Amino acid sequence: QREGLHVKAGDSTMQWYQQLQDAANQCILAFDGLTNSKDHQSKKIKMDLQKAATIPVSQISTIAGSQLKEIFDKINNLLLGKAVHCGGRAVSVTNHQQGLDFVHYKLAEKFVKQGEEEVASHHEAAFPIAVVASGIWELHPRVGDLILAHLHKKCPYSVPFYPAFKEGMALEEYQKLLGYQVKDSKVEQQDNFLKRMSGMIRLYAAIIQLRWPYGNRQGAHPHGLNHGWRWLAQILNMEPLSDVTATLLFDFLEVCGNALMKQYQVQFWKMMLLIKEEYFPRIEAITSSGQMGSFIRLKQFLEKCLQHREIPIPKGSLPSSFWRS
Amino acid sequence: PSASLLASGGNNASEHLFTPKNELTAEELKQFMAKKFTLGKVPLKPPPEGLLSV
Amino acid sequence: NVEKTDEEEKEDRAAQSLLNKLIRNNLVDNTNQVEVLQRDPNSPLYSVKSFEELRLKPQLLQGVYAMGFNRPSKIQENALPMMLAEPPQNLIAQSQSGTGKTAAFVLAMLSQVEPLNRYPQCLCLSPTYELALQTGKVIEQMGKFYPELKLAYAVRGNKLERGQKISEQIVIGTPGTVLDWCSKLKFIDPKKIKVFVLDEADVMIATQGHQDQSIRIQRMLPKDCQMLLFSATFEDSVWRFAQKVVPDPNIIKLKREEETLDTIKQYYVMCNNRDEKFQALCNLYGAITIAQAMIFCHTRKTAGWLAAELSKEGHQVALLSGEMMVEQRAAVIERFREGKEKVLVTTNVCARGIDVEQVSVVINFDLPVDKDGNPDNETYLHRIGRTGRFGKRGLAVNMVDSKHSMNILNRIQEHFNKKIDRLDTDDLDEIEKIAN
Ligand SMILES: Nc1ncnc2c1ncn2[C@@H]1O[C@H](COP(=O)(O)OP(=O)(O)O)[C@@H](O)[C@H]1O
Repeated sequence: QREGLHVKAGDSTMQWYQQLQDAANQCILAFDGLTNSKDHQSKKIKMDLQKAATIPVSQISTIAGSQLKEIFDKINNLLLGKAVHCGGRAVSVTNHQQGLDFVHYKLAEKFVKQGEEEVASHHEAAFPIAVVASGIWELHPRVGDLILAHLHKKCPYSVPFYPAFKEGMALEEYQKLLGYQVKDSKVEQQDNFLKRMSGMIRLYAAIIQLRWPYGNRQGAHPHGLNHGWRWLAQILNMEPLSDVTATLLFDFLEVCGNALMKQYQVQFWKMMLLIKEEYFPRIEAITSSGQMGSFIRLKQFLEKCLQHREIPIPKGSLPSSFWRS
Repeated sequence: PSASLLASGGNNASEHLFTPKNELTAEELKQFMAKKFTLGKVPLKPPPEGLLSV
Repeated sequence: NVEKTDEEEKEDRAAQSLLNKLIRNNLVDNTNQVEVLQRDPNSPLYSVKSFEELRLKPQLLQGVYAMGFNRPSKIQENALPMMLAEPPQNLIAQSQSGTGKTAAFVLAMLSQVEPLNRYPQCLCLSPTYELALQTGKVIEQMGKFYPELKLAYAVRGNKLERGQKISEQIVIGTPGTVLDWCSKLKFIDPKKIKVFVLDEADVMIATQGHQDQSIRIQRMLPKDCQMLLFSATFEDSVWRFAQKVVPDPNIIKLKREEETLDTIKQYYVMCNNRDEKFQALCNLYGAITIAQAMIFCHTRKTAGWLAAELSKEGHQVALLSGEMMVEQRAAVIERFREGKEKVLVTTNVCARGIDVEQVSVVINFDLPVDKDGNPDNETYLHRIGRTGRFGKRGLAVNMVDSKHSMNILNRIQEHFNKKIDRLDTDDLDEIEKIAN
């Protein structure tokens, strides 16, 4: 391997990214009959299935474990082909032979969108959403693949990789590749972009450390903390991107640092030391004065953790008492 | 590829939190044994279970 | 069938201001320009785009970033250079709540204070104990990298023994108690005060006795003490009071943000009755990603019915209406902010101050009308202004259920000269398009 930092993510990472995108595209083809049908009956089924798959996700709240269990069961039953009550009607994936593919896709998309919209402005919402997503993922692996595919598409830094500008690409196209929303060729404000990326990264960092407490728990987590290690290692092996890298490193460590510390102990602290001693100067070198906020917050967080030899439990993580409420 | 393979990171190391030593390259093992990581060479595979509190 | 609104609620300034403070934890962005009237017009007008340009002490800059700030707000861009100039300058600043005034004057106090000197050096007057507590939290947060810095609250009920001297470097309190501490009780030596802040001047003069107590305190302060006064509004009475308190001031005004409607996409849905309106609401939830929603009804009866229907569908719903006490309302709003309840069904105008960043959509289940059944444009503006905050694009959906309410909507469109498009909530793909 060459010395120093790479500009691109490793091949294995990019292959994995591509495989997931291909799987998502195959899924879209699998339900295109339902998507494009014009007859009234199919359109009715499609709306009912979409409502049954997505509304429960939007209802996830920090109120009580029992509420989360109800939502989990509703989603799980839908995926198992049972009839589910939604808007005064009984809805089932069996109503259309492409129903299950459609629900797999829409449900996975909704988890990621809820992260983008809700976690972005309310960080603590990551944990209840993540624990339901993790539980569904464990019982329905295909939904997991689709969650990753949607997440990677909307937030490439969750893979992680930094999309490269290709010759002849329109600026707008490149901005979209980077994850920016562009409407009538007006790109969104930087703070808004960073908040959405933070929301999705925080959701991902929560999913990889949470297990649904009511599962049978024999196998390993379908997508566990080893991916926290992989994400951090891949980021630290690449040249940082100004403002984005500091923001997302801080989000990831604040949500997942405590779990990674307990899991990988000394090796994890070696990573923290590498960030402070070697990676940090690289970030500082490319940070302009208007972008110091994320850099200083990361710096403060790192210094405090290294000083106390402790990464605090993230705010909003679900205590065991939550599951008795 | 089977669904769960994809989610597991595609490097068909099944979903292990740790990497058995015999699945590490010489360079990766060297990094995990060293007191400090070298910039740009942090192994993507998680560390072996035996080297967590060295 | 316009049901009469059953909440007539006297606008209680201090309560409203407290509610704003209790429930705000983010910056309201204001697209208006700042008007600056300099005391010495030919001295250069500074404005800063980053916190670095202010040359703050390192612990203070860290404190600012630790609060999650990235760059100065619009009013801070102009106010901070003036307040932090050498020698420090006096300032009168007016702008609506949520634009960053408190953070600005706390920064000014913290940059003048010498933590090693164990006596009060900054004095801040607040109209009520609760508002003082809110500002106190900002001082503690922003000053957390000054371990020796201590804060004292000069409010009734905070009894100190006679002859005691206060060692805290910053004192915040209500005018009556602060006056006693400075004069009768001599807990504070007014001659050593370097920064004097009078916050919420418009609320201050609305409270009996506070005006002349504030002026008597101001007169005890040294001539070179920096004087800062802040107000959300600038009626003549406030202006006359401000001039007595702050001699020879710079003046900064940020016109009230007429919640320009262009950052908020507005639609209406045609329904025949209450149940069809509810069905449209469910379809909305199925088509677009909603973090949290605020739904406005005309009467408590409708609000109660809607909350029950939504709960049956599995939503976590909070109910808010005018007859609740300020603390009760703040508690409901705080749970809504924490995401315990995700849908807030409310009936009255008190939504004016609610800025919860997670509100993705505002729904007028009933259109806002005044006592005589005419469109209440002011309330319409404040309601839909609850979304589209913090630089995000907002979404507002109006439910029309009769020719009469369609007429109301048309008159609202004319008033704001803003086209409100129809939305067919039976067509999923159409709704999805409006989301992004
Ligand atoms: N420069 C800034 N950047 C981001 N947020 C800010 C900034 N200044 C203030 N805030 C936040 O905005 C909210 C309103 O600020 P505040 O100072 O209370 O305004 P006001 O006193 O005008 O009501 C607070 O939550 C505060 O933390």
